[in-house]
This record gives sequence, C-alpha cells and structure tokens, in this order.
Amino acid sequence: MGSLVNYVLRRVLFAIPVFLAVSILTFFATNGVANPYDIVRFGIHNPSAAQLDALKAYFHYDDPVYVRYFLWLSQFLQGDMGKSLYTGTVASNILPWIATTLELQVPALLLSLAIGIPIGVYSAKHQYSKTDLGVSTAAIFGYSTPTFWLGIIAIIIFSADLHWLPSAGAVSGYPPYWWGNIYLDSLAHAILPLSVLTFVSLATIVRLVRANMLDILRQDFVLAARASGLSEWTVTYKHALKNAITPIVTVVGLGFGVLLAGAPALETTFSWPGLGYEYVLAVGKLDLPLVQGLTMIIAVMVLGANVFTDLAYALLDPRVRLG
Amino acid sequence: MRSGGKKPVRRGASQRAVGWRRFKRNKTGLAGLGIIAFFTLLAVYGLFLDPVPGRSYACLSTGCSNLPPFADWNHPLGTETSGIDVWHEIIHGSAGDLYVGFGATLIAVVIGLAIGALAGYRTGFSGAVLLGFTQLFFVLPVLVLILLFSKILLTFVARGLGLTLIVLILGLFGWPFIAFIARGEILRIRELEFVQASRALGASNFRILFRHIVPNLLSSIIVVASLAVAGNIVTEVVISYLGFGDANTSTWGLIIQEGANYANTSWWIAFFPGIAVVLCVLGFNLLGDGLSDALNPRLRE
Repeated sequence: MGSLVNYVLRRVLFAIPVFLAVSILTFFATNGVANPYDIVRFGIHNPSAAQLDALKAYFHYDDPVYVRYFLWLSQFLQGDMGKSLYTGTVASNILPWIATTLELQVPALLLSLAIGIPIGVYSAKHQYSKTDLGVSTAAIFGYSTPTFWLGIIAIIIFSADLHWLPSAGAVSGYPPYWWGNIYLDSLAHAILPLSVLTFVSLATIVRLVRANMLDILRQDFVLAARASGLSEWTVTYKHALKNAITPIVTVVGLGFGVLLAGAPALETTFSWPGLGYEYVLAVGKLDLPLVQGLTMIIAVMVLGANVFTDLAYALLDPRVRLG
Repeated sequence: MRSGGKKPVRRGASQRAVGWRRFKRNKTGLAGLGIIAFFTLLAVYGLFLDPVPGRSYACLSTGCSNLPPFADWNHPLGTETSGIDVWHEIIHGSAGDLYVGFGATLIAVVIGLAIGALAGYRTGFSGAVLLGFTQLFFVLPVLVLILLFSKILLTFVARGLGLTLIVLILGLFGWPFIAFIARGEILRIRELEFVQASRALGASNFRILFRHIVPNLLSSIIVVASLAVAGNIVTEVVISYLGFGDANTSTWGLIIQEGANYANTSWWIAFFPGIAVVLCVLGFNLLGDGLSDALNPRLRE
C-alpha cells in the first residue's frame, strides 16, 4: 500500500508544474500581446482622465507583464478570478456552465461505454465475421468524422427538415415548450447533441476494446483458462475483459479530461451553454479575464481527471505503481 | 522465422521491402493511400491549374449565387448566397488542409524525434528532465490553448502569416506523443541483441544510433505520423469552423462554418466539404492502421 500512496503523491505533485505551465501560457497568451485596459478603453465613449486613471490602476497598466502575472496568479490561488469585461465576476459566469457541460458529457460517456464495450467484445470474439466487418467499418468512419459536422448534419435533418427536435440551446427560455413541459423540453434539447457525442465516442471505444480484446484473447492465460474447462462466457468476461479494460481506463480518463473542456466545436454547433461554447464566445469577444479564468478552470479539471485516471490505473494494475 | 511460414521472404530483402509487401496485401491501407493521392492531386490542381481562385465571389455578378447541387455543371456541388462555389472551395481547401496536416506533423516529428531520442539515449539527469518536459506538454489542455493562441496571434501579431501560423502552433503543441513513442522505442531497441552485437564489434555510438536504432524507429514513427496528420487536419477544421483561423484562405472548416449558418435553407454548403473532411481523415487513419499492421509484426495474424 505504501507504494500506492507514493505513486499517487508523485502524480499529484507532478500536477503542480503543469498547473504553473498552463497559467504562464494562458497569461502571456492573453496579456502578453494585449492589455485588458486597451480593450476596455475603446469601449468607453469620451472617457475622462480620472476614469482612465482608475482603469489603469485596476488593470495594473503601468506594471510589467510578469508583475501582473504574479498578481493575477496570487489572486487566482485565493479564489478570486476577477471580473469579466462584460457582466459579472468570472466565477459567477463559469459556475453554471460547468453543470450544463456535465449534463451533456457524463451521460454521453456512460452511454458510449455501456454500448461500446459489449460491441467491441463481440466484434473481437467474431473477428473477420460480417458483423465484425460492419462494426469495424462503422467505427473507423465514426472515428474519422468531426463531431461538430455530424451535429450540423443532424440539425439539417431532424431540426431544419423534419422539425422533430430543437437545434439550439439547452432549454427553451419561455413557452411554448417542446413536448408540453419544461422537463421534457430540456430532454428534447439534449437528444441531438447527446446522440452525436455518443456516436463519436462510441467509435473510439469500440475500436479500442476490439483491439485490446484481440490482443488479450491470444495470450496464454486465456488458453489456460479455456483448458481448465471454464465456460466461454467466464473466459471472455471475467478473465479477458478484465485485462483488456485497463488500457481503456487511461484513454477514457484522458478523454474525460477533454470532455470536461466541453468539446468547444460541438457545443458551439448546438449553442449549448457549456464551458466549450462559452469559451469560444469569450475568446471571440476578447473577454480576457474570462478567458484566463476559463482556461485555468478547464486545466484544473483536466489535471484532476488525469490524477484520478492514474489512481484508477494503479488500483487496477499493480505493475504501474512500481514503474 | 519472421516471415511467419507460408511465404518465405527472399534472402536479402530489406525491412522496407518486407514491410511494403505486407502493406500491399492490406486492402484498406491501400484504399487509404488512394484517398490521400486523390486529395493530393486535388490540392495540386487547385494550386496550379484551377482557373477559379479560392474564395471567389464572381457568382454575385454573373447571377449564379445560391444554386443547389447538380443543377448547373459549372457548379456541380452548388453555390452559396455570397456566390462562393462549394466544389472549388473543396479543391482549394484540400491544399490548405493538407498543408496544415503535413506541415504541423513534420514540425511535431522533428521536435518529437529529437527530444524523444535524447530522452531515451541519455538515461541520467538530462534524460529525466526531458521526459518530465514531455509529460508536462502531454497533459496540457491542448485544444483550448491552440484556440486561444491562434485567435490572439492572428488578431494582434501575425495576421499575415495565415495558415502558416496554424501550422506552427499545431506543430509546437503536437510533438509530445511522438517523443513518447520515440523514447520508448529507443529504450527497447538499444537493448536488443543486434545492437549489443554491433557494439561488441566496436561500432561507434553515432553509427549505432543512426545505422541501427533510428531505421528501426522510423516504422513506428511513420505510423504515429500518419495518424497525427489526420488529427491535425481535424483540429484545423475545428479552428477555422469556430472562426479562429485565417478567414482569407480556403479551408474546409471555413466553408462548413458558412454552411452551418445556412443549415435551414442550403444543406449542401456544409454537407459536401464535411464529406471531404471525413474522407481525407479516413484516408490517413486507414493508412496508419495499414502501416501499423504491416510494420508491427506483433499485431499480425
């Protein structure tokens, strides 16, 4: 157990330099070329000298960029992400978006795992059968399809042409609601983005499970399990799948970190008010404090997901802890 | 017994020839190569032969705006309300997107190989530092940073660089995976018997690294690179779709973005360029899978 604690501690400690690297890259990307002051100043009609001085003081305009970096970082670590250049504080902007992003991403991930693992196992067990060929073909097409484009096609078919489902947002702002009430309304809004997202993640998971299972099913311990008279079901699902699933944990965990970022393009396609879409809007509007805050929150989530992945991996595969 | 029984390999056949023969048997890999060749030809045609320039609004004056597909054979895939021809955007877009795909991958391979090879060959402190550096870059939330960098740099600093800036950004963020592969392979290969044998025969470090280790490394790098081209093309499409790219050069993402705005009325604007993206990315993924089957004997049947 000592080695496990050690291992986790190492992974957590490693997150610190990564966090600092992201903060440096983010800050210098946003503030190295433009100061928020310059952006705000042009938004004010006939500013007075006193106004400009107050703004300069607020944005630390006269300090060099590395001083502003340390000021910003120390405030961030104290939980203060500053104010958006438009409305509200950065924190009050970000919080609701985290929930909407998760509303979409978590069900999609669970669905694609629940559907993808059995399909991948079946495909590997029946390698070169017609089903396997069909599954593999569909998977590589799905794997090569940009999610957001599939989203546009879904909107063209089911929303613009058939008028079955709404094409934008997470819920209607006011009546009439889709399908009668506000709960069914948000369900109607989620169906298209959720299906598109599930289909594309499904492709990755099926490909991975299939390849790993093919590899594992050829190994000696599977032969040994079969030779000792275990049923094919037990061999496949208890012995082989258990070993095939470990690498999937990594890919899913790393992928989940990316999912937390909200898949910017997909959320934009469906105008889904999550982290990804709002990030795209904030970068587009050059709302620099919001962009900084969002990038850091996304980075923290990705790093958190990585640490949890490593932990899960170490629990599943004892060899990892020693490496 | 590396040929696996049925078809004995000719004596003296090089690794490359063996790999190519295996690859030729792989129909999907060849299909991938065919698709890539098709888009390369399209790109060459667009760059040097196509009389219609990219992002041309000529149809506005000649009255061929907003045509549906297959209605007028001068504009086989239809046109936009602003007069832009979808088929010609696909042609010019393949030049732009292949440039980004290959260019960014080339940069990533050069950086990744250099850092990975050093990290693998030097096992001491400098190796550990390089490995840590690679891991650090590997876990960055890359897409978010790429979007930020391309928007900010294109807006304020390097407007004129256009797609080349995207190439640089994608290359500079894309190398860690290749460095991991290179390092892992070097750690494996340098302990193999034939390396020990050449060391025993008195070969220099340089000769061992470049005559013996690197050629054995290239096969795995080429597989990863092929998949990386696919990934870079998708990322470029996302960047220009979100409007963070170069708005003056034809790319598939740009025309898809315009098509998304007309999703209610003109389905063809987003549909056909998207098909081009799927096919092209599929081509590189199939090639990567085929190469991996041909060059990685462990996974062969």
